[in-house]
Amino acid sequence: MSNFTTISYKENELNKELAKVFAALLEKKTVDAVLAPCRQANGTIMQTLITDPAQTAAVDPFAPIAPVSSAKIASSLTAKPSGKKIALVMRPCEIRALIELVKLKQANLDDTLLIGIDCFGRFENQDFYSLREQGLTAESFIKAAQGGTTATKDQDIIEACATCEHPTAANADIRLCLIGADAGTFAVEAATGKGEKAFSDMGLSSSTAPGKRAEAVKSLTAARQEAFKQKMNEYREKINSFQALEENMAKCINCYNCRVACPVCYCKECVFVTDTFRHDSEQFVGWAQQKGSLKMPTDTVFYHLTRMTHIGNFCVGCGQCTSACPNDINLTMAFKAAAKVSQERFGYEAGRSVDEAQPLTVFHHDELVEVTGQMK
Amino acid sequence: MTEKKEIGRVLVVGAGISGIKAALELAETGYKVLLADASPHIGGILAKLDHQFPTDHCGICRMLPIVGREYASQFCMRKSLYHDNIEILPFTEVTAVSGDAGKFSVELRKKPAYIDPAKCNGMGECIKVCPMEVEDGFNHELTKRKAVYQMVPHNLPNMLRIDRDACSGCTEQPCLEVCPNGAIDFTQEEQSETRQVHAIILAAGAKLWDENVEDAKSYAVSPDVVTALAFERLISPSGTYDGVIHRPSDGKAAKRIAWIQCMGSRNRRLGRDYCSSICCMFALKEAVLAKEKGGPDTETTIFYMDMRTFGKDHYRYFEKAVAKGVRLIRCRVQQVYADPDGSLQIRYFDPDSNEFKVETFDLTVLSTGQAPFAEQQRFAEILNLEVNEQKLLPTDELSKVRLRKPGVFLCGSFMGLTEISEAVSSGIAAAGEASKLLASLDVLKVNDEAELSNKSTNADTEAAKLEIVFSKGFTDKEGEQLDAALLTKALTAHHSVTKVHVLASLHSEAGLAAFAELVNRAEGNRLLIGAAKPFLYQTKLQKIAEQAGFHPSLVKVFDISAALGRKDSPDSFTARLIQETRAHIDRLRFTPALQFDSLPANQTALVVGGGIVGMYSALSLAERGAAVHLIDRAEKLGGYAGNQVSATLDGLKPISIAQDLAHRIADTGRITVHLGSEILSSGGQAGQYRTQIREQDGRILSLEHGAAILATGNQKSPTTAYHYDESDRVMTQTEFGKALRADDIDLSKMKEVVMIQCVDSRDKEAREYCSRICCMGALHNALLIKEKKPEVRVFVLYRDMMSYGPYERYYTEARRKGVIFVSYSLDNKPQVELKNRRPVVSFRDPILDAELEITADWLILATGIEKDEGNDKLAETFGVPLNQDGFFAEADSKWRPVEFHKSGCYAVGVANAPMTLREAIMQAEAAAQKASVFLSGKEIPLAREVSTVHDSLCIRCQQCIPVCPYNARSFDADSNRIVVNGAACQACGLCAATCRNGAAEVRGWNDKQMLAMIDAQFMDCRIPTTA
Repeated sequence: MSNFTTISYKENELNKELAKVFAALLEKKTVDAVLAPCRQANGTIMQTLITDPAQTAAVDPFAPIAPVSSAKIASSLTAKPSGKKIALVMRPCEIRALIELVKLKQANLDDTLLIGIDCFGRFENQDFYSLREQGLTAESFIKAAQGGTTATKDQDIIEACATCEHPTAANADIRLCLIGADAGTFAVEAATGKGEKAFSDMGLSSSTAPGKRAEAVKSLTAARQEAFKQKMNEYREKINSFQALEENMAKCINCYNCRVACPVCYCKECVFVTDTFRHDSEQFVGWAQQKGSLKMPTDTVFYHLTRMTHIGNFCVGCGQCTSACPNDINLTMAFKAAAKVSQERFGYEAGRSVDEAQPLTVFHHDELVEVTGQMK
Repeated sequence: MTEKKEIGRVLVVGAGISGIKAALELAETGYKVLLADASPHIGGILAKLDHQFPTDHCGICRMLPIVGREYASQFCMRKSLYHDNIEILPFTEVTAVSGDAGKFSVELRKKPAYIDPAKCNGMGECIKVCPMEVEDGFNHELTKRKAVYQMVPHNLPNMLRIDRDACSGCTEQPCLEVCPNGAIDFTQEEQSETRQVHAIILAAGAKLWDENVEDAKSYAVSPDVVTALAFERLISPSGTYDGVIHRPSDGKAAKRIAWIQCMGSRNRRLGRDYCSSICCMFALKEAVLAKEKGGPDTETTIFYMDMRTFGKDHYRYFEKAVAKGVRLIRCRVQQVYADPDGSLQIRYFDPDSNEFKVETFDLTVLSTGQAPFAEQQRFAEILNLEVNEQKLLPTDELSKVRLRKPGVFLCGSFMGLTEISEAVSSGIAAAGEASKLLASLDVLKVNDEAELSNKSTNADTEAAKLEIVFSKGFTDKEGEQLDAALLTKALTAHHSVTKVHVLASLHSEAGLAAFAELVNRAEGNRLLIGAAKPFLYQTKLQKIAEQAGFHPSLVKVFDISAALGRKDSPDSFTARLIQETRAHIDRLRFTPALQFDSLPANQTALVVGGGIVGMYSALSLAERGAAVHLIDRAEKLGGYAGNQVSATLDGLKPISIAQDLAHRIADTGRITVHLGSEILSSGGQAGQYRTQIREQDGRILSLEHGAAILATGNQKSPTTAYHYDESDRVMTQTEFGKALRADDIDLSKMKEVVMIQCVDSRDKEAREYCSRICCMGALHNALLIKEKKPEVRVFVLYRDMMSYGPYERYYTEARRKGVIFVSYSLDNKPQVELKNRRPVVSFRDPILDAELEITADWLILATGIEKDEGNDKLAETFGVPLNQDGFFAEADSKWRPVEFHKSGCYAVGVANAPMTLREAIMQAEAAAQKASVFLSGKEIPLAREVSTVHDSLCIRCQQCIPVCPYNARSFDADSNRIVVNGAACQACGLCAATCRNGAAEVRGWNDKQMLAMIDAQFMDCRIPTTA
């Protein structure tokens, strides 16, 4: 049974109430540090590692922006044990990515307290800042989203979020709940033993889930699943041949921003910057001679397809790749559409459970017979 | 100057599974092997089998060497085999042997094939034009073949031969005309030669009865009654299977198939008082496969007497077969008759209803067993020995592989029918015995002479300059000739290609000479050779190129028939070959000059378990010059059998054997015995393990050793069944035997003894396996009672009497002496009550169809063999797996029966599975032989192509560790690195495929090479159409 505490906030005081929760975690020594999105002096919102309870005042976790995936930050904070306990305030997709990183031994949850937020989606960075100029706040966004609208006059949340099937955070120890919450309230949910412990440390009272929550989560998820299906089909119809894929990715300039932004692309040094792809002039000219002409830079579609085979089975569909692309290539839908098929084929879902082995890391005698042709 | 010593040589007679294994083992050790087979092919019976249980796949290639794999072929062994140190002599018989151990002179007679294998390209043009057609013996007359034919359809290269009995010698001789290489030679004659060898291994296999054996003849009423071996051809694509199991008579689908067991075996009247051991599992496997291949509507029925599933995991396979719907009926079939509509009627006595029944089948398979083999008698005469009662050659009391003639060993079904795992163990053990003999002689090993140093080269730093050599002695299927001029022009256009040569042939002697001359004046630094089906002669080419100064890893041979075979391509054959070659050029120009690493090998071994098998292992290792630490937690050597069992059914005396072995151990001076000791931890890898033990006095020792043999035995199986713990009249078979032999049992009042077999065994809720020795124990005790007091009534309540192989005669003898055998089933177990402290046993006799009640003086329970309690901890300490029953799980139950995937660790005897003492001793010998490679005291050279880790790229995600099928990779927390055991790595490439950024790489197969190859294949090439 999960434990919930409902907390009310006055207008423009959501962050103040949230800050109290985080400060309590620090004061009660439940954790030594809290990682959460905070307003910076220059107004930007970035992930911030807080140890001083007073500094929790700057938190703004529900601001609909995610300049980097906090899974990557969580990885650098936990891969090697520091002996310090850290609360990580993360979006559902970021936690799902973190789960995959744990399986890849790039993160460790032993000394963490995962705090997952309900997520209505996020805007592209520039969109968010221009909307904020026009008065957008986390609270105004939440209010609109709870009413079913995420779009403003000019902008909407990114496609990855609009087609996200996981608006609540599975695998979190504590959830900050807004879906189905009454106006002016949010709920704190203890979802695991660790969460319960933190709950009692903070002296929060226990109650049941907000009445409308279950229904609201269900309907939001259903709507987004439907949107995903539709967008995926549109994408598949459009990109229905290798040529279409090549044209779609023709703008790629090999900047590799997408893999830097990708939370589950975890290599120290990408194979595409190793000697394997450092061709000599002889090679380029040889190719050009054989084909008659050669588009440069080379290895662009190859790069994306390689990345897809490398991480497609643990892609969580967070949308960071598209956000990072300077040439507006819709990588997210390419990856989400491919990941959907390959993960389903293995009965796998990225981020669902730490205990589920990643596809192709375990060997089953009789699997994929339609591919291997292995016949008795 | 001393005379140059010669390299040790062994003749292996018979190239079936055990012969091949013995040959490979000796070749791996560094001795030269002559592998002779009377038939034209290798593989023996298994050449005909596509599937083996328990995997229902084929796994012969798992026998190939793990260490020293570069010297052997690395492809399907049903196709062919190559090893630097093995000379295969097909079609060759041994006609005489003279001399003694260490100095034999053997006469070999080779039959002609009428086709020169050095010239034949295997493309089979002659087959197409041959006018003569006869029945194909390989397919048991199910198909036809020509007078010139491929002896084994799946062999590579296709070895062809002319059957002169079938050949009409027609005047046109179209075969001679059509052969492009002049390979056909009708003048060939039988050839004899004398060879000198130091030891001989007999592995000539066995002979199986055909359907004409006396007790089967009356069943063979139609072509649809076939032998089990012929059935293998009915379910093989190289036989008649094409998605349908066709019955031979009219080709209709066989949907109802019956097996009749024990054909030619277990028949005292015909003088065959033995069980053929393998037919029960063979039939179960065939029935399972019949369902898979014939479709789910295929009905399979096995008529049997006892279902002898005594081997490791056999009982579980039996359960699987039953679960899949294989029907088992315990009876002797009375009659098979052919119906006018072509179906077969089988009349049998149904034990359930106690009446005769007749059922209709489409196909009947006779499980024909072991036939007396003329070769046994022939070799007895050649070696001046006498065959025993079972018409087999006489062997040493303890060792099944040591013939009663020094220097001659035997293995496989030449010892009596064996299943694959025993054939493999015995092959290794025989090779082990032979190599011990050779080690005691003044002979060399191949690698004693070879220089173990790496060749330096600057080819790596220079620009790649490729020379390419082709052979053109063939045409494609449409007769298109290779356009040498076009080929040369197109390829020399590549910037890395220095020169292209096209030779007439590469595999004939003249071709090799021309090749040698050419490479000696070559200017390039890399050599690419395109030849047709080069599997067997590519090593020769490689060696010649190496001698000419090329670095071994910069010489690549590829098969140009791959380009021939691409029939879908609209391009000309030459164009296809150009494209294919470009891919190989691009791969080779990025190939690094690989050096080999070596692994230091300690000369000390560790043996865990001081029972008979552990002692035997230790002695065998010591005989090879190794120092041995022998550890047991007990305070006395001997283990269970060596301290408790005075005699076995087949006449062994375990207690005195143990005493003898203990004396020999004391005498060697090479074996340190640690009694009352415990193993604490173990680390390291093959060649250099380090294990901590605590001795009896509490002292902790750290032992360094190259290999470890786990020889934990069994322990007494506890039971509470049938009031065992409530009455002194209820005993186990072992307790009873011991008391009986010690005269502790009062026979004067003994009238009735009841024995219950399979107590807590072969049952889902209990030990789900057969303990293999309990039936023999029961027979042993029953016979002893009958000997001491014939009037005692002895009842043996059994499920299946597992008196397999030669033990059958004791079962017969017991019945002859009046022991009463009554079968029971799992759903109708005997009931026991204690009345006046005496056990009263009630059970149903299925033959009398009556319930019986016996008040027994003694109730004897066969409680089976339980794994040793220490196995769990040992498995954890050494990092090796256990099976679900708590016995050690070997690398492969058939093909690597004493090894683990973890190299340098072995398990033998009851540590693996319940088995008899002689079987366990054979495993001990096999494990000692396997271990010896890591105990040489020298450096073990590793293969050049092994997997490696680029630490600077590696992110330690450790994904490569679980995917490695050879357990070659591990994470070393101390150095924070992934480490690779080069001896275990087989370069399969799974680690490299798993690693996302190329940190895991198989040397010689790097991404750059592979991508270049793929590019060349897929690039829209502009291939000129004319020179």
